[in-house]
Amino acid sequence: MATPRELTISSVMTQTLTPTIADRLRAIVGQNHVITHPDRLVAYESDGLTAYRVVPRAVVLPETTEQVSRVLAVLHGEGIDVVPRGAGTGLSGGALPTPDGVIVGTARMNRILSIDEQDRLATAQPGVINARLTEATAPYGLYYAPDPSSQSACTLGGNVAENSGGPHCLKYGVTSRYVTGLTVVLADGEVVRFGGAGTEAVPSLDLVGLFIGSEGCFGIATEIEVRLLPAPEGVRTLLGIFDTMEAAGRAVTDIMASGLMPAAVEIVDHATIVAVEASVFAAGYPIDAGAALVIEFDGTEAGLDDDADRAEQCCVAADAREVRRATSEEERLGLWKGRKKAFGAMGRIAPDLLVQDATVPRTRLPEVLARITEIGQEYDLKIANVFHAGDGNLHPNILFDRQNADELDRVEKASREIMSLCVSVGGTITGEHGVGVDKRGYMPLVHNEVELEMLRRARWVFDPNGNLNPGKVLP
Amino acid sequence: MTLVHELRSALPDVAVRDPSELGGPIWPGMTPEFVASPSSTEDVSRLLVWAAQEDLGVLAVASGSHADPVSDGRFVALDTSLLSGIEEYEPADLTITAGAGTRFATVDDALRENGQWAPFDPPAARDRSMGGLVSEAAHGSLWAGYGALKNHVLGATVVTGDGRVLRLGGKVVKNVAGYDLLRSVVGGRGRLCVLTSVCLRAFPLPPQERVLMISAASVAELIDSALAVGTAPVLPVSIVVAGPLEALDGRAALVVRLHGAESTVDADQAILETHVGTSFDRLTEASDGAARILSQLQDLGAVEDRCVEVSVLPSQLSGVVSAAADVGLGPMVVDSYAGRIRIGGSDLGVDPVGTLREAAEQAGGALRIVRWGRADFPTGTPQSMATAMLSERLESIFDPGGVLWPARS
Ligand SMILES: Cc1cc2nc3c(=O)[nH]c(=O)nc-3n(C[C@H](O)[C@H](O)[C@H](O)COP(=O)(O)OP(=O)(O)OC[C@H]3O[C@@H](n4cnc5c(N)ncnc54)[C@H](O)[C@@H]3O)c2cc1C
Repeated sequence: MATPRELTISSVMTQTLTPTIADRLRAIVGQNHVITHPDRLVAYESDGLTAYRVVPRAVVLPETTEQVSRVLAVLHGEGIDVVPRGAGTGLSGGALPTPDGVIVGTARMNRILSIDEQDRLATAQPGVINARLTEATAPYGLYYAPDPSSQSACTLGGNVAENSGGPHCLKYGVTSRYVTGLTVVLADGEVVRFGGAGTEAVPSLDLVGLFIGSEGCFGIATEIEVRLLPAPEGVRTLLGIFDTMEAAGRAVTDIMASGLMPAAVEIVDHATIVAVEASVFAAGYPIDAGAALVIEFDGTEAGLDDDADRAEQCCVAADAREVRRATSEEERLGLWKGRKKAFGAMGRIAPDLLVQDATVPRTRLPEVLARITEIGQEYDLKIANVFHAGDGNLHPNILFDRQNADELDRVEKASREIMSLCVSVGGTITGEHGVGVDKRGYMPLVHNEVELEMLRRARWVFDPNGNLNPGKVLP
Repeated sequence: MTLVHELRSALPDVAVRDPSELGGPIWPGMTPEFVASPSSTEDVSRLLVWAAQEDLGVLAVASGSHADPVSDGRFVALDTSLLSGIEEYEPADLTITAGAGTRFATVDDALRENGQWAPFDPPAARDRSMGGLVSEAAHGSLWAGYGALKNHVLGATVVTGDGRVLRLGGKVVKNVAGYDLLRSVVGGRGRLCVLTSVCLRAFPLPPQERVLMISAASVAELIDSALAVGTAPVLPVSIVVAGPLEALDGRAALVVRLHGAESTVDADQAILETHVGTSFDRLTEASDGAARILSQLQDLGAVEDRCVEVSVLPSQLSGVVSAAADVGLGPMVVDSYAGRIRIGGSDLGVDPVGTLREAAEQAGGALRIVRWGRADFPTGTPQSMATAMLSERLESIFDPGGVLWPARS
């Protein structure tokens, strides 16, 4: 695996783009939309995983599918690598530039192209911010279900590339359940259309499904057709406070076994509560609590109180110290605050934060969490856990300072141990943040050489020359 | 030495039978050289390698309901029925793994004993194998509430055409590390690989199911109501129009299913009735013929010798349903939320199906031949050149030697 230090800005020489190529690109996207000045390029040197930094050769910002196609054709012809980029909130280094590559960013491709109320579909350009789609469809009583915690910043294109989830994906499923069709520009500039609502009877392999989660390696999605859902009539939100993580885990198991279908079940651990309460985001969670559990139900008003009562009983039976229930939207946001602001709060107590991501069978959560605490102690690192408990998707967050080489080394070792642990109990190395550059080295933990070779060939199917997002996903 | 003897000596653990023992042709007019029944993933792999050496095609069959029309050539039927049994089931994790030859009924029963289920109900589901369901991405009417089958398949063990064993996905809900090859296998109709084991996501059984119905003389008359249900502020788990139904003396029915607690489904029903402007009959176990109506609804058209499927946007359904009625096609089942129409019958004609295909394509949709027999089958909507090229490349990485039978069609 490439270590963060190998890839930091200081150790990689970025090549500049020749004026001729830059001019050809400017002729396609407009004078102001090809960035080559080093001062401006620095803004693109990393995504949400700040341990890795590389300044790109240039950034190109097209506005339409046709422009993307022409830009890719030029870069393909010149043999220049392309790194697609949305909002750069990715947490696995997926949009990390390569030193001799060009970033093709979707920031200007931010138009919602259509909203079809009758068929409950919307088509948008990839640079549309996730939350904006829900805002735009709200007047029709509709919304877009996948809700990554970064939804006020991340783009639909990034969501497609990472198959993003979010707190409410427990009930509603992740991005792949909602994307019905894609327009994609392949590495050589060819424009292809995958799927499309109403064309399911075409006897094609599921190329939409295969493209989703391909982390920018198969093509650039330039139009995304998604299915919308009717906005739920009501919502009930509970916050359970527990003395121990183990007790909170029991409550989750009981809730899930009881036949209830919560929209979200999220846990924050003691270390996270302490960080949040010490920050400007203080949410009123007791700082001596072992864990806090946010449970939410949504749907038709009539049944919601019953559901919330039953979930509360599960918490009480698991020895919850206290169960709070929101009675207004303001209170609801208050109960969520400790969960939603967790990353922000942690970011303020350490210079760097590595948001890890792995999935384990839900029944193995307690033992995995206990072992993660031990790993933190063994490597003298602060690890705080926030996670989607309903589907066993963990986010152990490691706080560190990247200027401290020794600490960085311990972060890498602890990360590897956490990943091996999750795999050893039947889980995997990523739940929703993708492999990117960060987890390439862990791929052999989950795939043997035959499977890895198959993944390489799958990439070849879409991008035979390997110019799109090289150095990502595969070890 | 005959082929069968050669196989027996090369793979002594693989049971080999004469095709006549299968109880009928795999599909009309086609007879495999023999039927091989491996009982492990390793034997499936060895069988595929052996078949490639012998220049034989291989077609995986389980329940024998395989449907794609294929071209001529010598082939072996790979019967998956010995790859059977539940391999792992942890109710608290809501996941279940079973051999690809396991009948869905076995999985369904195990889940229901624990208050769980797998929410899909394709035609004749209980008699079909897990591998068959997954490779066809078979879907039923629960699509509105639970999504397509592909959303429920968490992982699979597969053998590629050249005998490589791949574990795709896993046994946790979010589990893709690397590109999601499993997606191309689900619905791949055996073109890419042989499935030997499948892991499904289970769901808790809903506390209540409420089944609501309106009937009318024809399917066409019910489409508008079905579309109105599909735009209501509450989303039922299933919205289906079907007819003519024997159980209703040849009338058609719009059947809507709601899942949830008693108080929730009461409220949902009221919201739907206000939105649609009609009151529904409630079908309960005690209602006259309820079980027959529901089972006909699930299987109508699909178990016939000839069956086609149309997809269009829901808003285009009325026109396409009328076009089908105009050329006398039926009986049909319409999933108005998914925009899918299934039409089956032993007497479907090539010309009416061609007309229907035109109507579907004009409405932006497509038509697929699900089953037809050998002679004179009509063609469905083709895929685009670009996706055909990518699909071909995908086939070439899974099955470089073109051993898997349908790839040769
Ligand atoms: C505070 C915070 C909370 C988060 N919470 C969640 C969460 O709850 N759930 C979750 O799943 N993730 C979460 N994330 C991770 C991240 O937001 C998601 O992965 C998101 O989908 C990335 O979108 P983006 O637009 O920022 O993409 P980027 O980071 O710019 O890119 C991500 C990947 O997508 C590729 N890409 C971008 N656009 C395209 C395109 N149009 N076509 C092809 N490839 C493209 C890039 O090459 C890269 O590989 C969180 C991140 C942060 C910082």
